[in-house]
Amino acid sequence: MGPHTVSRRILIIDDEEDIREIAQVSLEAVTGWEAITAASADEGMEKAEREQPDAVLLDVQMPDMDGPATFRLLRASPSTSRIPVIMLTAKVQAADRRLLAGLGVAGVIPKPFDPMKLAAEVARVLGWVDGATSEELRDGG
Amino acid sequence: MTVDSNPRAQDAAAIAPVVLIAGAPGALPADLSQRLNGVSVRTASSGDAALSELKTGDVSLLVLDHSISAPPAIEVLCQIRATAELASLRVFYCLSQGPELLRKLVQDLGVDEILFQPVDPEELARQASGVLGLSVLPLSTTESEEEFHSAVADIWERSRAAKIESLEILDDAGAALLEGTLTGAARQAAEREAHKLAGSLGTFGFAAASRFAREMETTLRSGTRVSESQALRFSELAVALRLELERTPNPNPVPTAQEQPDSRQAALLIVAADQDLATKLAEEGVSRGLRIETAFDLAAAQSFLACERPEIVLLALDGSPWAEEALNLLDELAGAQPPVPAMVVTGSNSLTDRVEVARRGGRGFVSKTLAPSEILDAVVSFLDRQRPDRTRVLAVDDSTEVLNVLKAMLEPHGILLTTLQDPLGFWDAIETCSPEMVILDVDMPHLSGIELCRVLRSDPRRAGLPVVFLTGFSDAETVSRVFAAGADDFVSKPIVGPELVTRILNRLERARLFRTFAETDSMTGVASRRKFSRALDDFLRLAHRHGELLALAVLELEGLSALNARHGHAVGDEALRHLGRLLGRAFHSEDAVGRWGGSEFVIGMYGMSRYDGVQRLGDLLADLRARPLKIPEETEARLSFGAGVAEYPCDGGDLRSLYAAAALACRQAAAGGGGRVLPAGWNPQARDALRSVDVLLATGDEAEALLLLHALEAQGCRVRWLRDGQSVLRLLGGAEPDLRAKVIFLDVDLPGLDGLSLLKHLAADGLLGETRVVMLTAPAMGDDAPAALALGAVDHVAKPFSLPAAIRRIRRALEMDGAAAGSRQPPERRNDLPSRNVP
Repeated sequence: MGPHTVSRRILIIDDEEDIREIAQVSLEAVTGWEAITAASADEGMEKAEREQPDAVLLDVQMPDMDGPATFRLLRASPSTSRIPVIMLTAKVQAADRRLLAGLGVAGVIPKPFDPMKLAAEVARVLGWVDGATSEELRDGG
Repeated sequence: MTVDSNPRAQDAAAIAPVVLIAGAPGALPADLSQRLNGVSVRTASSGDAALSELKTGDVSLLVLDHSISAPPAIEVLCQIRATAELASLRVFYCLSQGPELLRKLVQDLGVDEILFQPVDPEELARQASGVLGLSVLPLSTTESEEEFHSAVADIWERSRAAKIESLEILDDAGAALLEGTLTGAARQAAEREAHKLAGSLGTFGFAAASRFAREMETTLRSGTRVSESQALRFSELAVALRLELERTPNPNPVPTAQEQPDSRQAALLIVAADQDLATKLAEEGVSRGLRIETAFDLAAAQSFLACERPEIVLLALDGSPWAEEALNLLDELAGAQPPVPAMVVTGSNSLTDRVEVARRGGRGFVSKTLAPSEILDAVVSFLDRQRPDRTRVLAVDDSTEVLNVLKAMLEPHGILLTTLQDPLGFWDAIETCSPEMVILDVDMPHLSGIELCRVLRSDPRRAGLPVVFLTGFSDAETVSRVFAAGADDFVSKPIVGPELVTRILNRLERARLFRTFAETDSMTGVASRRKFSRALDDFLRLAHRHGELLALAVLELEGLSALNARHGHAVGDEALRHLGRLLGRAFHSEDAVGRWGGSEFVIGMYGMSRYDGVQRLGDLLADLRARPLKIPEETEARLSFGAGVAEYPCDGGDLRSLYAAAALACRQAAAGGGGRVLPAGWNPQARDALRSVDVLLATGDEAEALLLLHALEAQGCRVRWLRDGQSVLRLLGGAEPDLRAKVIFLDVDLPGLDGLSLLKHLAADGLLGETRVVMLTAPAMGDDAPAALALGAVDHVAKPFSLPAAIRRIRRALEMDGAAAGSRQPPERRNDLPSRNVP
């Protein structure tokens, strides 16, 4: 595991407390990023506006307001509209995931996730990975 | 700049060996200083900075990145090798790839080790430890990993009770299901609960429990139609789930959703407009154990690809309205990182231009006339070729325990491990299993691993075989003994799984790269003759099995000896390299490119006809002409080649006969003045070359005509342009026509005699069998196109047209052939498409 020099702040929005905690530990312990959590869409919106995270991990199935609705709210507010959002979902049907991807989210991470690999997965989805750039690879071919 | 994040390194700084890292990116210096006990790491960001650091004289090891500039890395190396004081400096070179450079670096510039980009920090640390005689410190992440697992366990302890309590909802639902009394609200609540459990338990290390909950969720979602056996199964699952949660979680949780069959990424994405065909293909795929996704249109395919990455895509859009747009999908797939290979199903009356597909990165073709099972055979054999065989490794250790551990660790990584307890059986084992790598124990009775290694290194056939040692000691003396005997690497016992696996996989990868270099022509980068012959044999076997065509081209670079005589061999070599680069760019994995010898190259194109081959070589020729070779102290030289293309099976059934046919055509091309691509069997005497053209452009628009004329000629067509309808009729009509054309590209607004009237005359004269008309229709006149088709035109293009689209349609019309229009079946093919590239 190479050291990550850039510090990132990730907001996790999930109604389940244990998932919030484990995602937080995953991101903080494995990468040294800062993770903040919210238990509902309302709390999430407020924290997203105040903390301006680098990315949001958003659970799809929540009571009151679900993931897609929260995502639309985030997009609608000028102060949060540019923050990339990754959906966390336990839905496994390809059609469901296609639907999510169609919303315009940055990516979809399936649940259950491996806590050791969550950070790497987030980095992969958002293109935060160092190493050979795709351009170099293409030129070489 | 000195990196001193390792406190132990700081203590020893006064006597610490110094490593200078020049130009290597990112965290490499920090990683190295953390992993090597007692090392001092410095960095330099330019060639000059590196050279002045080296002048201090205390650097023991230089890690030099190829991409460094001012001056470039090779220049830095040359200066180092020219400096007597730096004779003992060890050099590691970081390289992206490049067979030519590799040989130069190792043989001429005395580089000690090549590290391939992106450099693995562990690999660097190990190699540096061998050179500097320092020990490698344990990975500090092990500690944090343990901490992490205990944090996960803590969270589980806190939420466990609540989770188990929530199981009651599922128990109740199970009972109600059996009695048939589950209400809508209770069902929804239970489904929600099962969904949550399925999504979370795996994260805590209960992979099986997650799967149980998933199955329960699916049962609940199916609503009221739950059978009695399903209800029973549901109750059993509820019990099993509870039992699972009573256990301690798996301390090494790897329960990623990817490992569950229903959510893994699809191995094969079938994109087919024909739902019936798609279903049949999917069934065949499933029966072969492939995971299948289907999309019935491009939009569905694209949104699927947005979230998943299949191993391969099978496109069957021939004849659908999206056939043209499908080419853009090919672009996307080829541009993905890494590229997703695509195979294209082409119909018997093919509208798919194979050349265009290959240009867009498509990897292969299957004929739609094949049965779905045969199409899937072709897909599977493609996937097999993409996946390397199991790697053979021989391990020698006197302890069965160690051998068993090795087996358990390596076999999941696709390694076939042969184990040997008695070192006296070493030679037999080497012969029978012919391993790609050997793992040796240092201390064994009778013969030590070091002795075995020394003998191995003295056998020229085995000298390149990678050897990794297992040793109980990692003191400097053992390490240096091991390396002196010729070891490539060593691993200390007790064996730490991930470390050993990483090292062995690294070694194997490196050995493979070196082997690739041996199979590559060092001058041009294309395959050696031997490698090419083997690849072409594979292609021929496949073509035979799947009833496909294969084109073999022989290409001779022209004027090489003149170039050598006039400018010296260095320039001649550069010309060959120049061509080699263009070949590498123009041909992909379903093609084989090799250097046959001297200035002669061979290209095998799977699934391509002779016509396709001529067109691709024509493209290459145009490309070569557009990129002249720069010659020092002169302007530049324009290069050109002659080529011949033969087709399997009609010109020959094996490499030898195909080569002979293509080489003959290549000599014909050269005899005719060169700069041409000819199909095998071309017989100019059989036709009156002056009176016959491939394409007649009939249009009054000069700009349009010139554009098409040049593009078609560059692709090897004979073209004539006439600007009024009366002269077309005069030349083509009558009993003794003055001109024959295979295809007329006919502008509907032709001066003199308009296109539709001309078409009527041609039809009346009975010319539309041998001559095919592609009508260029005006945008405003909506009914031109149907009128033209009704009069006998084979195709139409609307104005304003795109050049590639027009060319594609003209080529397609050229390939149609009377009654057997468009057939790709070899017996109906003709040999008479000549091709001349007008300089």
